Amino acid sequence: MKYSEIQNILNKADLKVLPKLNIVILRNIMIESMIPYIKYLALQIGFEAKIQLGEYDNIVQESLGFKKDLLAENTDSVLVFMKLDNLSWKLARNFASLNVKQIQEEIHRIRETIPHILNGIRKQTQGMILWHSFEIPLYPSLGISDNQHSHGQTGVIQELNNFLRESLAQYPNAYLVDLNLSLSRIGAKSFYDQRYWHIGRAPYSLDALSEIATENFKFLRPLKGKNKKCLILDCDNVLWGGIIGEDGLKGIKLGKTHPGSAYYEFQEEIVNLYNRGILIALCSKNNDPDVWDVFRNHPDMVLKDKNIVTSQINWEDKATNIRKIAAHLNIGLDSLVFADDSEFEINLVAQELPEVTVIHLPKEKSIEYKDILASCGFFDTLTISSEDRQRGEMYKAEGLRKELQIKTSDLSSYLKSLEMEVEIKFADDFTIPRIAQLTQKTNQFNLTTKRYSDADIKNLTVDKDTQVLNLRLIDKFGDSGIVGVCILKYKDEKAYLDSFLLSCRVLGRGVEDIFMIHALKLAQQRRCKTFIGEYLPTTKNMQAKDFLFNQGFDQSTISYDLTQTLRNEPSFFKKVDSVVNL
Amino acid sequence: MEEHALQVRVFNVISQVMNIPVDQINEHSSPENIEQWDSLQHMNLILALEEELKIKFTDDELASMVNVDLILKALRSKNIS
Repeated sequence: MKYSEIQNILNKADLKVLPKLNIVILRNIMIESMIPYIKYLALQIGFEAKIQLGEYDNIVQESLGFKKDLLAENTDSVLVFMKLDNLSWKLARNFASLNVKQIQEEIHRIRETIPHILNGIRKQTQGMILWHSFEIPLYPSLGISDNQHSHGQTGVIQELNNFLRESLAQYPNAYLVDLNLSLSRIGAKSFYDQRYWHIGRAPYSLDALSEIATENFKFLRPLKGKNKKCLILDCDNVLWGGIIGEDGLKGIKLGKTHPGSAYYEFQEEIVNLYNRGILIALCSKNNDPDVWDVFRNHPDMVLKDKNIVTSQINWEDKATNIRKIAAHLNIGLDSLVFADDSEFEINLVAQELPEVTVIHLPKEKSIEYKDILASCGFFDTLTISSEDRQRGEMYKAEGLRKELQIKTSDLSSYLKSLEMEVEIKFADDFTIPRIAQLTQKTNQFNLTTKRYSDADIKNLTVDKDTQVLNLRLIDKFGDSGIVGVCILKYKDEKAYLDSFLLSCRVLGRGVEDIFMIHALKLAQQRRCKTFIGEYLPTTKNMQAKDFLFNQGFDQSTISYDLTQTLRNEPSFFKKVDSVVNL
Repeated sequence: MEEHALQVRVFNVISQVMNIPVDQINEHSSPENIEQWDSLQHMNLILALEEELKIKFTDDELASMVNVDLILKALRSKNIS
């Protein structure tokens, strides 16, 4: 989209009513022109970006707190642009003139500066640090000989980037943004604007700034729980060329050579997303057996039955079908991305279900499908946990559970037949990242919707007046991993429920009951007299509205009297392994 | 491009970048009489104009075109389609 159009959208939007995304940019270059892109991308996920820029080339000073009220507790993210040219002109520009000792001195100076800055930032804020890497020179000072050994200009800069990556890894919630990736995608001729570099030390073109902002939002989206969880695909002219109902199994285009290779590679990208924990679903106007015939019998199908978490293959309208998919998976419409070659279907879904993100794949551009999907950035997560890698299988197992439920009429015998085992433990170094992730992305069964970073959870675990519990669930269909979090704070014989959440796919099996009973018991064992609950309504957590009252909390005070005897835990669990002794 | 059509497109871009009504912009508009028009907005304006009109100014032109009149003069010399 054009720069002026973006500014026009921002001028007209009612940003004031939106929650804020507080961003601080520390920089040694001029990067002001990126602001509209950041604000626009923030608006797309429902936030007003409040952006504060540090002074030009004041990164060190500001990281040490010299500019009051810049970095603060409520800072969501700190973007660091420390361009090598303005940090070490010699390394960036006059490398050929330096001897080994001078090079070492420059490297040493930079390696001392980076941790200094990181420490300084962390003393002021726990917000997400997004540090932009050093750019590899387009024309190394030593020409073609530069890359023949590791201590040329290119090698030195790569080493500095490695140092940067390792340094950031030592801090929670700190990430490297690879500018060289953005540079490669745009191409150097379009990435840099030499005119404004010379006029005002603003190195990047609008194309570059748009790409860099997009890259940053791949981090900011999951920070705010706005990353997408499920990709819903049309079939004809999307997964293969042609129409299966007309062209037949042998007539559709799909294979290792042109033109079928475009679809083959597109499917590989979809499987790549599947392996990162993205749910893959189908929504196609077709005869159901025709589609599965391709899945099972076409020799070049990369996608398999097992990759598809659920499908709606029928002749109903796609908005209705997508609603069904969301309901079946128990996830919000705003977690969905829908891809189709038909402009009609795309427009219909965009109009009927504005929360769903749509990707139009024009069929005459099938060779671009793979890159369109790979570049969208909607699905990025900050870490890929083992739970993510197994998510497709876990949801599939959920489908099997539902089938069993239909077969078994009596609920408690059904629950017993699941052979559920729960583990309730205190957070530790292994589980902290998953706990933080759950607080960031659980929307529906979440009583308070408080979002925490890894660092926040870590801090809570060392606070003696706070306890962080996590719940893991295993049943005969598989290990669901950590699916529940409960955070309790204690003060004056009272326990306060700071957070209580469960992944939606485990609800309705008594897991929420047993988790609450153990939380109450834990507070009782700390000699608390009262347990204060809390429910903060959002547009998404309606289903948790009455949970506390159903658990026996007082309707007016939303509290639970711990001096009474607690009720027994449900009997249908096969095994309960808990830090709380009942 | 016809003179009037060019002017309309330029004024529209200025209006969007500076976030001011288009009827407040005329040939005499400049950083002196438009409060929002600082050196950074000037750069944003030039970049937006280049994108809108699919042209590139040279660095010397950039340094000289400091108000609407001079921007229009620079554009007229560029044969915009």
